Amino acid sequence: MARVPIPPRSAQRFNTVCQFCIVGCGYRVYKWPLARSGGPAPEDNALGLDLRKQQPAMGTWISPNMHSVVTDKDGSRHHIAIIPDNTCHVNEGLSSVRGAGLAQTLYAPDRATRVRLGDPLIDQGAGQVKATWEQAVDLGSRVVKAVIDRWGPDAVGMKFFDHGGGGGGFENNWAVGRFFFSGIGTRSASIHNRPAYNSEVHAAADAGVAALTNSYLDAELADTILVVGANPYETQTNYFLAHMVPNLQGATLETKRATFAGESVEAGRMIVVDPRRTMTVSTAEAAGGPDRVLHLQIEPGSDIALLNAIARIVLQRRWHDVGFLRERVEWQTFEAYQRSSLDVEAPFEEFEAQAARLTGLAVAQIRKAAEWIAAPKADGSRRRTLLHYEKGLIWGLKNYENVAALVDLGLLTGNVGKPGTGISRLGGHQEGYVRPPYPGGRPALNIDEAIRRGEIKCFWVGGCNPVLTTLRAEAFEGALRERGAPVREALARTAGKPIGERVAAIVEAMKNGGMFLAVQDIYPTATTVHAHLVLPAAQWGEVNLTSINGERRLRLYAKFMDPPGVALADWAIIARFARRIRQLYLDDDNPLMANRFLDFDWRTEEDVFIHARYQFKGDGSDGMEGYAGVTYDMLRKLGNNGIQTPVRIVRGTPVGTVRIHEDGRFGTPSGKARFIPAPRPWPGYAPKVARQRKNFRFWVNNGRSNQIWQTSYHHRYIPFYQGRFPIPYLEMHADDARGLGIASGDVVEVRNDMGSVRAMAYVTDAVKKGHTFMLFGQPRGAAGNLVSDHVDPSTTIPYYKGVWADVKRIGPMTEELRTVSLAPMNVAT
Amino acid sequence: MSQPIDGDGDGDVARSRSCGITRREFVKIGGATVSGTIACSLLPAIAASPPAAKGEGYPVATVAQLSAVKVNEPIAFTYPDESSPAVLVRLHESAIGGVGPGASIVAYSILCTHKGCPVAFRPERKLFICPCHWSSFDPAKAGEMVIGQGSQALPRIVLRVQGEAVQAIGVEGLIYGREVNIL
Repeated sequence: MARVPIPPRSAQRFNTVCQFCIVGCGYRVYKWPLARSGGPAPEDNALGLDLRKQQPAMGTWISPNMHSVVTDKDGSRHHIAIIPDNTCHVNEGLSSVRGAGLAQTLYAPDRATRVRLGDPLIDQGAGQVKATWEQAVDLGSRVVKAVIDRWGPDAVGMKFFDHGGGGGGFENNWAVGRFFFSGIGTRSASIHNRPAYNSEVHAAADAGVAALTNSYLDAELADTILVVGANPYETQTNYFLAHMVPNLQGATLETKRATFAGESVEAGRMIVVDPRRTMTVSTAEAAGGPDRVLHLQIEPGSDIALLNAIARIVLQRRWHDVGFLRERVEWQTFEAYQRSSLDVEAPFEEFEAQAARLTGLAVAQIRKAAEWIAAPKADGSRRRTLLHYEKGLIWGLKNYENVAALVDLGLLTGNVGKPGTGISRLGGHQEGYVRPPYPGGRPALNIDEAIRRGEIKCFWVGGCNPVLTTLRAEAFEGALRERGAPVREALARTAGKPIGERVAAIVEAMKNGGMFLAVQDIYPTATTVHAHLVLPAAQWGEVNLTSINGERRLRLYAKFMDPPGVALADWAIIARFARRIRQLYLDDDNPLMANRFLDFDWRTEEDVFIHARYQFKGDGSDGMEGYAGVTYDMLRKLGNNGIQTPVRIVRGTPVGTVRIHEDGRFGTPSGKARFIPAPRPWPGYAPKVARQRKNFRFWVNNGRSNQIWQTSYHHRYIPFYQGRFPIPYLEMHADDARGLGIASGDVVEVRNDMGSVRAMAYVTDAVKKGHTFMLFGQPRGAAGNLVSDHVDPSTTIPYYKGVWADVKRIGPMTEELRTVSLAPMNVAT
Repeated sequence: MSQPIDGDGDGDVARSRSCGITRREFVKIGGATVSGTIACSLLPAIAASPPAAKGEGYPVATVAQLSAVKVNEPIAFTYPDESSPAVLVRLHESAIGGVGPGASIVAYSILCTHKGCPVAFRPERKLFICPCHWSSFDPAKAGEMVIGQGSQALPRIVLRVQGEAVQAIGVEGLIYGREVNIL
């Protein structure tokens, strides 16, 4: 009979934060020896609950997926239970489908997570073979040094996570940045999900607007929440459920009245700009009623046209915030914006009609959006609108102008730095960026191209899986395979020979086009299979780490178990290499280079955290991550509510920031915000994209989903998640599917000029005719195979969402899919 | 003595509260819809064998007569005890674990595996949907969560047909709010 063990009162307790999405829900961890068990009476268990009774709805419950058994290094076995924290202001006791399975992600020798990397591996020509850290670090360090010495620092390429949460955190990010930028000094860097070292929101930064300006509380206070290119029910779940939904339901009216004395208040409204009818749309409608939700189901790539049309209507109706514009904005940029982005010389009706044509919307819908965003309220006061955006916009037609159009609309309507407002990313993963400056310029080098051109001789990948996620992914994997082969031959030829001889052979291979690949990760992946050197990293729960969430809430994620084998924290791996490279340069009598690798002698995570902290001043000038004055001890005391960055030191005390820009200052030299004018109201498709769009029938929108986190690196090993989608799904409209003889559950092939991928057809009304949507970056189907190598030339950000392809049926549902539901994934009632 | 549940029926706050949802949570989590799902306090107790000892065998309980089970007309009951509401439904199609004609009769605990709100069967969707956070579960696929925030599939009440009687004989999966199904 199914049962979960009861944590005894003596169970160890830890605070942690979910390792998955940006929202960063608080969780409590209980750990107790396998042989011990608590009792159902309240005085006999750590939960203090009477487990002899049925627990009430909204109560505390250890679901079977919230429990697992782990083995520590000393062989001792322990129960672990990880349950949502009902004292955390972020999630208020709610778990998401991802957070509910945290205990299942833990390494265990008797579950599927046993495949975790526990030892360094070196490719000896006939496969990857276990090695010691000393061997692995020595080989890798000598290769890196040889490449720097012969070809210069830019021949060492890297692609690393730069995020918080699982696999990330301030500690790891600082170590990685110190090593590659202060140490090696390479410009050939790139961030986990893209081919360059760049911001996804350069436009917001240029406008002086932070990426995460608001608090989650603002979603309870807003009159209108605008969501562009995001799906918060599925991918920022408890921000949506615990903060947005109550506003739509009118459950936050008392808070609104208390906060905005004398101002008209009513239940919130939501505008969702998304080509799909997602769960966010249907659940918002269920919460607030269909008349309080406006779904703008736009055609691909038309966001800029829509946002600029809304702005033009706002201006036409004189709903813009003149006071804010005069006091807080560089006025000449406002004038330039009107002339170019809004083309105010063009007749208003024509402008509106053009936007309607491009977006596929009715003019009335665009006008309604403008009204909901900016029309004065019943008492004449300004409407408070919270503007949110994520990958639909960021990875859209033209990254820079897309983000600019959204930020500009926020500035025009004065919706930043005040309660109930904000201009913010919704976010994907958590944050925790602290690094020395990137030595390269802008637009940043496209590293995928540099690899294909042969300029990168040694490529180091950390905590990401570009074979599944990059653009034109088949060609990228081809380059890894072809350029890796000569190095592999060199390693085979010199197996057992002295290290100097081996490195010399590798360098010879590099002269002939070879590239050495080191991959640092927690699991074997589609990228580690090509690696000559594999470095096993520790994950969330196996190390202490710190990160911030979507409202910049900084917390300590406690270590509560040991990593597998000899796996180490990413910062500790990097530090070993830095110390070894330093020694090699000292041996070479090259103190100049040796000293670039000084100060990697950290003993604990907190040493790294404190080392990085000196990047921050705490005087109000820090970026959104600033954590001046914060210590681990302080974070332990603050628990799962933490402190909101940036932190200022006021009379010696660290003070958090609820809302950025509330002081009226923006991140520009003048302290005033800037509009970012675009050359024209809509830039059109780049030639490469236009060609694909013309030659292939279906638009293949692609992105994340509710149950599967990123590349499914954990979830592929957990039956609850893997069983739901054994292969990635492709949503199709019923008419399109019928025309091609495709039924839900059929295996289909999606193909274009870049490559092909297989998926499970999922017939749905979520997508319009001619549109499809595919889960991105999956081990059994990488949508990246179809993405063209076009990037926004001003930011080197790809148009990942801009894929067109043909679809054909391969065969009927396999036996594996017999247990998989094909019911609609976007209904709430 | 079971009664059909109208998934769209009118309820009130008091009934919801009897499912353990407080007033504040009611306002916050479900708006008007939560009250329309099911009235826990009105669920009939069904004829069951004497309750088993904690963690031991499941009782055998007759849920309905086969002839009374109509397609898309859910029957509410409690199992394995009175504080565990469940629903039996006959689907249009055969179902994993189904019994009776065409293996189309299934039953599930209706406490959502997310936060324990009572899910409701929506015949037009062929799904159980939770009114609090909108998780949905497919009764034809062993209660698999289609989308949502549940922590596992909906626990399936194992059924058998004895003559004319449709009987509950066990539960597959742990019921929300319990460390073991037999308290």
